[in-house]
Amino acid sequence: MTRGPTRTVARRELAERLRQRAFKLSTAAIVGVVAAIAILAGVLGGDGGAQRYTLAVDGAEATAIAAAAERTQEAFDIELDVSRADGPAAARAGVADGDYDAALTRTGLTVEDDPPDELVQALAAATDRVRAAAALRGAGLSAAEARSALDPDPLRVTTLEPGDDEGGSYGIALVASILLYGQLIVVGLAVAQGVVEEKASRVVEILLSTIPARPLLTGKVIGIGILGIGQLLLAGVVGLAAGAASGALSLDGSAVGALAVALLWFTFGYGVYASLYAIAGVVVSRQEDLSASSTPLTLLLVAAYLVVFPALDAPDSTLATVASLVPFSSPIVMPALVALGEASAVEIALSLAILVASTAVLLVVAGRIYERLVLRMGSPVRFSEAFRLARR
Amino acid sequence: MQPPQSPAAAERPALTLERVSRRYGDTVALDGLGLTVPAGEIVGFVGANGAGKTTAMRIALGILAADEGRVLWNGAPASRDLQRTFGYMPEERGLYPKMRVADHLRYLAALHGVDDAAARAATDRWIDTLGLADRAGDSIEALSLGNQQRVQLAAALVHDPDVLILDEPFSGLDPIGTDVMSAVLRERADAGAAVVFSSHQLDLVERLCDRVAIVDAGRLVAAGTTEELRAARAGIRLRVEVDGRAPGDWAGRLPGVAVVGGDDGAVIVELADGVDDQAVLDAARAAGPVRSFAPVRPSLAELFREVVGR
Repeated sequence: MTRGPTRTVARRELAERLRQRAFKLSTAAIVGVVAAIAILAGVLGGDGGAQRYTLAVDGAEATAIAAAAERTQEAFDIELDVSRADGPAAARAGVADGDYDAALTRTGLTVEDDPPDELVQALAAATDRVRAAAALRGAGLSAAEARSALDPDPLRVTTLEPGDDEGGSYGIALVASILLYGQLIVVGLAVAQGVVEEKASRVVEILLSTIPARPLLTGKVIGIGILGIGQLLLAGVVGLAAGAASGALSLDGSAVGALAVALLWFTFGYGVYASLYAIAGVVVSRQEDLSASSTPLTLLLVAAYLVVFPALDAPDSTLATVASLVPFSSPIVMPALVALGEASAVEIALSLAILVASTAVLLVVAGRIYERLVLRMGSPVRFSEAFRLARR
Repeated sequence: MQPPQSPAAAERPALTLERVSRRYGDTVALDGLGLTVPAGEIVGFVGANGAGKTTAMRIALGILAADEGRVLWNGAPASRDLQRTFGYMPEERGLYPKMRVADHLRYLAALHGVDDAAARAATDRWIDTLGLADRAGDSIEALSLGNQQRVQLAAALVHDPDVLILDEPFSGLDPIGTDVMSAVLRERADAGAAVVFSSHQLDLVERLCDRVAIVDAGRLVAAGTTEELRAARAGIRLRVEVDGRAPGDWAGRLPGVAVVGGDDGAVIVELADGVDDQAVLDAARAAGPVRSFAPVRPSLAELFREVVGR
């Protein structure tokens, strides 16, 4: 009995909102802004992190050299993708065909033209080490002795000012937090306005003579949520694609993971804020009263967003930890910290658990308040009064 | 030979409010109200502003809870699921302003659980019946108030309800709209629906309704057909015109006869129970030549004023 109306209500929200010009414009705006940031970052930032090279190898020494080069690839700001070729001729043919950037065989390094400096340097250094190790072992040293001779303790480097050598992930973290903040405000207000629209137009009286109050609210929250998540997903995919195309970031697991985390935290953060905004909507009867009742929530979101900056600068601070756990700020702060690679698995799991639990509780509370107030017309009801009603 | 059996109202399903009470704070909105709406009939629900009509209708629909009393259908308590099948036209009209007419009606039908094909068919049928065919693709807010009201009626009807509850459906309608609304309500009742509507247009209620229920201060003060209400009043009234006589001076002396009014040289008298109207005629003829002697048939408006004592 309840599934049917919930789905019908959600479907109406989707259909009516997709039809509206405002929705099309806001989608275009959010996608456009994200793409512009990603492209600008690539154009202005120049250095796009590690350059990726595909390398075909043949022979035992070449394989050892490639393995040694992979261990030091970060120092040379490259990323090697090594494949074993079927003989030296096949390796070289692969380069000629454009399947590989370079081939490493007994005869040396083969490239198409104009060999990239960092690749040649990385492989040359690796070759030195492999051949030196072989020479040392030939001179009678054990394998362990040879290794310790070639791999002494590295020079310790201490950075006084953390620079943005993590430029890509820091950028993703900032853009993600802006997107999450903006999108939570937009969809939260959409829920509040949708609730008030039904009260102000009095259509709610017909709706409630037809279906219970809960599916009316649930369907609305689901419908608007699907659109909000869809917009965010679209913006995220376009942003990552544009960033990769412009060289601002590399499309590796961490970028995709950051998007997935952002979507997950948004989904439950939306649950928290949709509940609160639904309450802000149902306590009033006219659109003009909505700004007064929704402003505290909007300020809460602004505060959560402003915490992102100090949190990213000092990810280990108490502020960052608290903000990534409190359910009103964690939907914005935690995805940013994850994008930066500054959250432990325990913190991530705890943040999500608190967020999911808060969503569940707030949805129930909002549902009860909504049921009791949705037919009450007139002057705004105070929040304290609304929450008192939810307890009865 | 047996007399032909008339379909007794009691044998048909009926919507019944049974001793329903409701307070808002210190205000008593309903005070043990009873109301019966048999299937196949139109019941006019009449009362002054604030008498409790809207509250009673909302309780019948289940969107408001009664403090005491029950809502019955066919003698058994009506479940919320059953109440949600009732068609409703609220006094405060309301539809989604930006939704298109046909989309809106299909949506309401879908909320009632009508499948898509049937929802489309019903939408098209009511749009046609109510003369909205060329506005089906317009948004509600683009329609005139009269047309919005027609959509509002269609919204109450689109799922083909067995019970139709309409709060002031005629307010704001022009004469053509009134005719369309009247015809649709009669057609639904003839098709077997139980129809109840509130109205202040008592001539319309008298013309259209099979029964009238008069509510005052939250209580049912009279109910029945208009004829039954007339029969139930205190006494028979006569309008008597006697040539050349000042009204009243002959009638006031008759036992069991009270002068309750007069007009155009005539006198209106009310006879107590058991008083023979022919004795009144004799007294009138003794007073002078009788030009007119006729029972007075009070209108519903007059009955209403008498019953609520205002």
